[in-house]
Amino acid sequence: MAHAKKFLFCVISFFYCNAAPTVAQNTEIRFVSWKAEAPKVWDQAIADFERQNPGIKVVREIGPQSSTQIHDLLSQKLKNRDSRLDVFFMDTIWPAEFASAGWALPLDRYFPAAEQYKFLPAPISANQYRGQIFGVPLFIDAGVLYYRKDLLEKYGFAPPRLWPELVEQAKTILAGEQSMQLVGFSGQFKQYEGLVCNMMEYILSGGGALWDEKRMTSALDQPAALEAVRFVRDRIIGEISHRGVLSYEEPESLVLFTQGRAIFHRNWPYAWTIANDPANSKIAGKVGIAPLPSFAGAKGAAALGGWQLGVSRFSMKPDLAWRFVAFMTSEKIQKRIGLATGRAPTRTALYDDPELAGKMPQLGSLLETFKQAVPRPRTPVYVPLSNIMQRYFSSVLALPNTDIKKRAALAARDMDRLLDLLREKQMP
Amino acid sequence: MKGSHRTALLFLLPSFIFVAVFSLFPIFESFRLSFYRLILTLPWLGEKMVGWQNYADLWQDPVAIESLFTTLIFVGVTIPLELLFGLGIALVLNEAFHGRGLLRAVVLVPWAIPTVVSSQMWRFIFNDRYGLINFIFFGGDVSRYLAPLADPHLALIAIMAAEIWKTTPFAALILLAGLQSIPDDLYEAASIDGATAWQKFRHVTLPLLRPALLLALLFRTIDSLRVFDLVFVMTQGGPADTTNVLQFYGYKKTFAEGMIGYGSAIAVAVFLMSLIFSLAYLRFMKTRDHEGMTR
Repeated sequence: MAHAKKFLFCVISFFYCNAAPTVAQNTEIRFVSWKAEAPKVWDQAIADFERQNPGIKVVREIGPQSSTQIHDLLSQKLKNRDSRLDVFFMDTIWPAEFASAGWALPLDRYFPAAEQYKFLPAPISANQYRGQIFGVPLFIDAGVLYYRKDLLEKYGFAPPRLWPELVEQAKTILAGEQSMQLVGFSGQFKQYEGLVCNMMEYILSGGGALWDEKRMTSALDQPAALEAVRFVRDRIIGEISHRGVLSYEEPESLVLFTQGRAIFHRNWPYAWTIANDPANSKIAGKVGIAPLPSFAGAKGAAALGGWQLGVSRFSMKPDLAWRFVAFMTSEKIQKRIGLATGRAPTRTALYDDPELAGKMPQLGSLLETFKQAVPRPRTPVYVPLSNIMQRYFSSVLALPNTDIKKRAALAARDMDRLLDLLREKQMP
Repeated sequence: MKGSHRTALLFLLPSFIFVAVFSLFPIFESFRLSFYRLILTLPWLGEKMVGWQNYADLWQDPVAIESLFTTLIFVGVTIPLELLFGLGIALVLNEAFHGRGLLRAVVLVPWAIPTVVSSQMWRFIFNDRYGLINFIFFGGDVSRYLAPLADPHLALIAIMAAEIWKTTPFAALILLAGLQSIPDDLYEAASIDGATAWQKFRHVTLPLLRPALLLALLFRTIDSLRVFDLVFVMTQGGPADTTNVLQFYGYKKTFAEGMIGYGSAIAVAVFLMSLIFSLAYLRFMKTRDHEGMTR
């Protein structure tokens, strides 16, 4: 331990001595992000950071919007130990993988437990892997239910607490409205990562699970999980939605809702701002928001999403990189981004901020959901695990005559085989 | 003589280096990696030599086998249609008429548009709510609208339609070049002998067009075995894996999942398939040429 500290000291002082003269000139921090919804806020935040830290220049590399594609870009750079990458965005499901692969720098020495307590617990735990922390949460996401307040009021319904109740309400409203254009529910059921988020919410809210984290085995073939999948296929998609949702990601499903063509809609918190913006939405002011329903006898569950900032292990200036991460995840900047984009902050204190609450009235009710949001399996093999689950869910939803139990058993076998790799040899 | 030989080699060197660095080395490296188990996200498992294990796994992987069939259906359906439509277009463009030059240029447009852009366009065309296809077939009758990209029976057909639209011009271009190399006096001679238009086509055009046809077939087969971008943009392999072509599966394994060894085995399999197809076609072309000469 003493050795390690000494070594660390040497390394730091080495970098410090080398970096010190260059800081006076121009030191670059390279930051890979996706295209932000409100680029001006980001530009301004970066300009502020540069002003506070003279001599440091932040170079922003804008990657693709889709999580899967930016994952490919980052893993290419990190695999090649690209030292021209210091700070990057991470989706909730990556920290375990990036930590295991040796790509993300453990941040414990910069980000001690006392500081971690100031954040919501769910995204902090998503950033932990084998006792260390690898990222600082910037926004939090969790699945929520949006509904047409006007239509539910017209038919005398309160927001549904149970999934079967949601289906019945939708059927009554559809029968009453007699509109060809209207569907009961829109969500994300295309074969992609979002499908896992949607399906895990049904499975968990019926008392099932995607996997058994202790035994590290799949739980897709358990009765509760099978029942939930059957419900989605036969009742949600079969009775109140249309088959088009099988090709929908977030944007397409949201458009259906904002065009006034869907009664219920599952999405992330960002949809609130868009659905209530008269320039983009025909239903502004008619939108309600509620926690996702559950099945009888179980609690509702929301998939945890969101984005974190991580530091590359191959960065030549981790201290400066950290300074930037700390700045971007500070209360001040999170608030600014929240005000501009409607992205929910990760610092608990901001949920009591009157200005933010004025702009985002839904924040108070979201807090409970955020506190209980469930992360997807935290494992370095998450991506292949997710591909197996996507294949299974998409097959049983798109082909209504498939034998769910048989398909689930196949998927569970594939997942178990993959998880066995983790048992082969423990990480040193 | 020797000196000029050396000069020739010197001139060849740059392109040889280029091919070696950008083509031979990656192919060799894929071959090598396909014999290892190397998983990027589990570095502590190391780079373990596993012999033919990846290939054995590939052979028993139902997803890979299904994906192979999807790819073969894709190749088998799109290429004949591309050649057929391409031939039709080439025959028209070979006639002399007003505005031919302009039309020849316009026909190439689908091929000139980057695939990612045209895939995005086709994704909109096949949209289940506001797509052009639905409007053409069903007009305002929303209740009958189809969701081609959400339907396991239609998604591959939709992707094949986009591919045919995109690459028919390429086939047309090669076939047009072939048509123009057929001397006019052959048709004159046939006319004097009293041949009908169909007889001229069947006995003059088609046999002399064979090299061009085979060339188009060769290029198209190699290219469409590697179909990737259409799937990437339009469906991501879904729904229910029905558009999960081999190259896309290999990409997912290698780049998203970090399974470098297994992904390389898929890449090598696709490479070998195109190699076999190419050799078979080249063989066929040679024997045909030979027959033509002895006849």
